Amino acid sequence: MNICLEYKKVKRTGFIQLFLCGAILAAVVPVVNMVFRTEMYTSIHNTPVQILLGANWQLMAMFNVLVIVTGTCLLYHIEYDNNSIQKLKSLPITESQVFLGKAALSVIMYMSVLVIEAGAVIFCSCHWFVTGDGFWKELCQNFIYSFIMGLPCIALSLLVSEACKNMWMSFGIGVVCVFTALILPEKPFFLSLFPFAMPFKMLAGTKHVINYIYASAAWIAVTSLAELLLIKIRRSFE
Amino acid sequence: MNIIETKNLVKTYSGFTAVSGINLHIPKGEVYGFLGPNGAGKSTTMKMFLGLVKPTSGSFTIDGKKYPGNRIEILKETGSFIEAPAFYGNLSGEENLEIICKILGLPKSSVSEALELTGLAQFGKRLAKKYSLGMKQRLGLASALIGKPPVLILDEPTNGLDPAGIHEIRMLIRSLPEKYGCTVLVSSHLLSEIELMAGNIGILNRGHLLFEGTLEELRQDASAKGYPADNLEEMFLAMIDEDNRKGGAVI
Repeated sequence: MNICLEYKKVKRTGFIQLFLCGAILAAVVPVVNMVFRTEMYTSIHNTPVQILLGANWQLMAMFNVLVIVTGTCLLYHIEYDNNSIQKLKSLPITESQVFLGKAALSVIMYMSVLVIEAGAVIFCSCHWFVTGDGFWKELCQNFIYSFIMGLPCIALSLLVSEACKNMWMSFGIGVVCVFTALILPEKPFFLSLFPFAMPFKMLAGTKHVINYIYASAAWIAVTSLAELLLIKIRRSFE
Repeated sequence: MNIIETKNLVKTYSGFTAVSGINLHIPKGEVYGFLGPNGAGKSTTMKMFLGLVKPTSGSFTIDGKKYPGNRIEILKETGSFIEAPAFYGNLSGEENLEIICKILGLPKSSVSEALELTGLAQFGKRLAKKYSLGMKQRLGLASALIGKPPVLILDEPTNGLDPAGIHEIRMLIRSLPEKYGCTVLVSSHLLSEIELMAGNIGILNRGHLLFEGTLEELRQDASAKGYPADNLEEMFLAMIDEDNRKGGAVI
């Protein structure tokens, strides 16, 4: 119900096009890389999924995170622009329900982005490599893991967008967080748990896989609590 | 029977008292005019009714439902229009109303009814950001009137409208109790405007309720206190002026 409502609200904002363009750009990365460096990659002895993601995932994830940051900013910008949030607050719907609706829409869009990217990986694997028995299983595992790693980033980015009435503020914070994620070292371990750094993690070659999954769940729980707290604090100052 | 009642309702903002212990009694099925100069506390009071502003102390009930325990139930039966029209600029007028319609669980036909009622029917498909100020105002009114809620809270609803529009909206507000059984709380800083719409009025100044009752009672009260009772506007201004000189003490 709330997803439909949020979907209706983003009409003509470019939200859907933003995710689609981001997904296509990210999907083009492995294809272009393979076109220009065919021999280099086909000579590597590894599974196609690991070769393709290993070579391209950092750039693909960068597109994904930037799309998430921009998309979530847009979702709350439409509420603050023309003060429509005030009308919403005077209707029988809670702010946390609105947040949930927006989160669900962002998650669905992120899922669509990953599906398009997976399509590109499938195309490259079939075109330039020989796909073995475990190809589909490996592909699914990798993209499900990437999906889980993207959730804390969506939740936190949405929370920042809700907290800042000015879209440029939330967008700026998001961009700073993305670049912080890029320069953060892998060690100590807790630094790699930064929500904006998590979408850059790949299943292949990542140690502590299960810990990252737990961390993702913990971040979602923390962000949900922070969202409830934000609503309470904001209400008490109104 | 009163549909809205407040009990010592107070709102303070870091040392500044916007609403100071007011006790309102708004009768069911009537148009109640909420009158006061700019900054008197009218919008703050209305925002408190909608849960947009948290009261510092005191309480209120709307249709027997107490705030904050029944906030969502109160909002289900309250249509509102506060300060300036709020809308999604990227959506058409019709789409804006469809969103409200979905949240309130109303049938789709209520969108066209609300557009018709506010004279926006032919502009329903136009993007809200391309509306003129008067059309935005009408859209705001349509979003308050959609589904014909039992309680309507309208904060200066005729702002930005041309004289014909003001007349049309006044007539509409006046007809609402009879047509749909609504109770309307409408604010303005012009007594002449309230006089044409409301039967009961409440006068607010510096957060204090100076008077509450019918227009006739206001005339009697004013003449008893020595204000010019033949001209309502002058009487209102004299009351406000005297209250300002007293420093906002309750009469």
